[in-house]
Amino acid sequence: MPRILGSAILSAAMALPGLIPSAHADSAPESGIISLRYLSYRDKQPGLDRITVSAPSLYILFPVGREWAFSGSRVMDSVSGASSRYHSSISGASRMHDTRQANDFNATRYFERATLSIGAANSTEHDYKSEAVNVTGTVSSEDNNTTWTLGFGNTNDSINPVNNIVVNEKKHTRDYLLGLSQVLTPNDIVQASMTYANGHGYFNDPYKMVDNRPRDRSQSAILAKWNHYLEGDSVLQSSCRYYWDNYGIRGDTLALNWVKPLSNGVTVSPSVRYHTQSAANFYYDPVYDPLLGAPFPLGFLSNPTGFYSPDQRLSAFGAITAGFKISKSMAGGWEADMRADYYQQKSGWRWFAKGSPGLEKLTAIILQLGLSKKF
Amino acid sequence: MKLVAFAFSGAVLVCTGCTGLKPVQPWEKGNLAKPAMTFETDPLEARFMEHIYSSKESVSGGSGVGGGGCGCN
Repeated sequence: MPRILGSAILSAAMALPGLIPSAHADSAPESGIISLRYLSYRDKQPGLDRITVSAPSLYILFPVGREWAFSGSRVMDSVSGASSRYHSSISGASRMHDTRQANDFNATRYFERATLSIGAANSTEHDYKSEAVNVTGTVSSEDNNTTWTLGFGNTNDSINPVNNIVVNEKKHTRDYLLGLSQVLTPNDIVQASMTYANGHGYFNDPYKMVDNRPRDRSQSAILAKWNHYLEGDSVLQSSCRYYWDNYGIRGDTLALNWVKPLSNGVTVSPSVRYHTQSAANFYYDPVYDPLLGAPFPLGFLSNPTGFYSPDQRLSAFGAITAGFKISKSMAGGWEADMRADYYQQKSGWRWFAKGSPGLEKLTAIILQLGLSKKF
Repeated sequence: MKLVAFAFSGAVLVCTGCTGLKPVQPWEKGNLAKPAMTFETDPLEARFMEHIYSSKESVSGGSGVGGGGCGCN
C-alpha cells in the first residue's frame, strides 16, 4: 500500500513546546497534572472522503518545589485515507496509511519575576523525521502586570519519501519569538507577540505532481490576544493574527471563544474562527497546458525548472470553524471535556487577493475527548 | 490593511504601557486569576488545533517556537 507523507495533509498534534506563558508566572504550579486526550479528525471533499486521523495523546506536568516544573507529552497519530495528487483532483487520489509518534519534554526554572524554559521535541514518521530544541525566557514587572517573553527554536528535519523522488533531503528552521503580556484593567489582559521563522532546505511536497518550491522560506506573524472578563462570570477570548512570508502568502486569522461557567462545575465554550489567505506566487490555478494536459501548468515546457505548485493549501481561500466545548470539573481534581469543531474551506470565502478558482471545498469534522487529574 | 493596523496599534498600545490607565493592584486581580483569563490553555488541545490548522493552511506562527516539523507540508 503506498504510503504518502506529503498528502498526509494532517499529521495532527505535533509537539509544540515553547508556547508563550501567561503573565504572572513566577513560581512553579502548585499541583501536577496528568491528561489524556483523544482526537478524531475526518475531512472530505465533494464525492470523496479524504483523510481520517485518530490520535491519542498523553501529557504530564510535574512541579518540583516552587522553583522547577517538568512536563512531557506523547502523541501517536494514525493517518489513513486518500489525497489528491494536484489541486483538488480526486482522479489521481492514492490510498495511504501512516503512523507517527511525537514526544516533547520541557523543563522550567522559576525565579522571582522570571522564568527560563528549555524544551526538546521529536517526531517520527516512516518517511519524515523531525527534531527540535527551544529555549524561552520571561521577565515580569514588579507589579506583575507586564511580562516580556523571548524565545528561540531550532528544528532539523530529514525527509525520505517512499517514491524516492529525493533521498535524505533536509530542512533546517530557526524561529524567534518576542512577546508581551499586559494587564490593562481588572477585567482585561492583552498579549502581543511576533514570530519569525527562517527555513532552508526541502519544502516540496514529494507526493504532489509538478511541485517545486523555493528552498528558502521566511515566515513572519504578529498575534494579538485579548481576554475580557464579562459580567456573569464569563470570559471572552479574542485573537487576531496577521501573517506574511516570502512565498507571497498573506494571511489574516480572527478567533473568538466565549467561556461560560454554568452550575455543578460545568463550563461551556462556543467558538468561531475565520481565516483567509492569499495564494503563493508560484501556485497555479487548475488551467493546464494544452499539449501536456493535467497537471502541467500553462507554459510549463518553456520553463520546466521554474517554481510551481498545485497544492490547494497554497491557494487563496477563506475558512470558517465553528466549535463547541463542554467540560466538567469533579471532586478529587478530575476534569473531563468534549469538544467538536466543524471546519470548511472555500476559495470563494477569501477576504482579499485574487481567488483561486476551480477548487473543491474542503470540510473537516474534529472531535476531541479529554480527561485530566491534578495531583 | 485594517487588521495589520489593528495588530500594530494593539502592540504599540501595550508597549507604551497604556499610559492613560492606572496600574491594576494585586487586590484587583480576582477576575484576572480565573483560568479562562490566562493565556494558558490545555496544551494537548492547543497543539491538536494548531497542527490541524498549520497542516491545512499555509499560515502558521505567532504562538511559540521550536515545535518541530512534520510530513504534512
